[in-house]
Amino acid sequence: MSSTKTSRIGEETRVDKVNAELVTLTYGTIVAQLCQDYDSNYQDVNKQLDKMGYNIGMRLIEDFLAKSGVGRCANFRETADMIAKVGFKIFLNVTPTVTNWTSDNTQFSLIFEDNPLADFVELPDDGRAQDELWFSNILCGVLRGSLEMVQMQIEAHFVSDVLRGDDTTEMRVSLVRYIEDEMPPEEE
Amino acid sequence: MVVYSFYIFDRHAECIYKRRWLPRPTSTVGKSRSDTVSGAAPTGLGQTVRSTDDDSKLVFGTVFSLRNMVRKLGGEDDNFVSFTTSQYKLHYYETPTNTKFVMLTDLKSPSMRIALQQIYINLFVEYVVKNPLSPTEHPGGVGVNNELFEESLEQFVVRAL
Repeated sequence: MSSTKTSRIGEETRVDKVNAELVTLTYGTIVAQLCQDYDSNYQDVNKQLDKMGYNIGMRLIEDFLAKSGVGRCANFRETADMIAKVGFKIFLNVTPTVTNWTSDNTQFSLIFEDNPLADFVELPDDGRAQDELWFSNILCGVLRGSLEMVQMQIEAHFVSDVLRGDDTTEMRVSLVRYIEDEMPPEEE
Repeated sequence: MVVYSFYIFDRHAECIYKRRWLPRPTSTVGKSRSDTVSGAAPTGLGQTVRSTDDDSKLVFGTVFSLRNMVRKLGGEDDNFVSFTTSQYKLHYYETPTNTKFVMLTDLKSPSMRIALQQIYINLFVEYVVKNPLSPTEHPGGVGVNNELFEESLEQFVVRAL
């Protein structure tokens, strides 16, 4: 599928609007609550956000497929394009840039110019959050959950975040393997 | 046309929903349609339950093998749409998430591919997947057999088809 065609699907797929600030504030509240619950153990907060995202992703993919009507991607490059130009466009109205491919086409980066989850956010000034908390980590989980449902096991993590003072917000996505079809259990 | 039965299989090859509609007996032509349909809910005892269970396994085995064969012969993007025996027609639709929708109808029925896709988009995703309190996976059909889904499916089959 050509790259312009995926962009068009992203533009044209209509979604009911919800106030963006509501989403931002709701997400911020969740992260803040987790920081409190885990006593500012940011590793645990990251892990928890990823887990929540995973559960969201497993459902979101069905909505994505129902709304966009797209079929299976032919390769991982097409998948990356689909995620950036259709997935993120439909649900967050942003289009991260796909870049930094490895030569074997199994790893790429998503660069977020704009991250609606992080509007209004300033990380806590406790000397640790800047180094340990990945504020938007839920997105990694969402990708992991939704791609698992379409037979791809992936690993995703942030490598930089403007909230931490980095120049860009970058997520690294690696394909681990394609998941084989499951067979029904043997009759005993 | 007459719909005989309907199955959903998840990506773990488990039958997460099945529903049977018995064909309308000719002697009860005067009876209202919904009466006949609701009377045919797949809740029998002993033998009946066992045989619907076996049915779903047979159906899964068949569509699974057929789909794999079709892909081997026609390429990864190929998919079979339906097959016909002298008694019934089996319609098949599979989503990229490996959820399989199967419907058995009589021979006169037109292609049900669009109908099955509609059931996926408008009923399954809306009432099962998006229900935040239902589990994400449905072992044993948990979460699929909710009222909204079943009722809408009933209406869809009775009215739209």
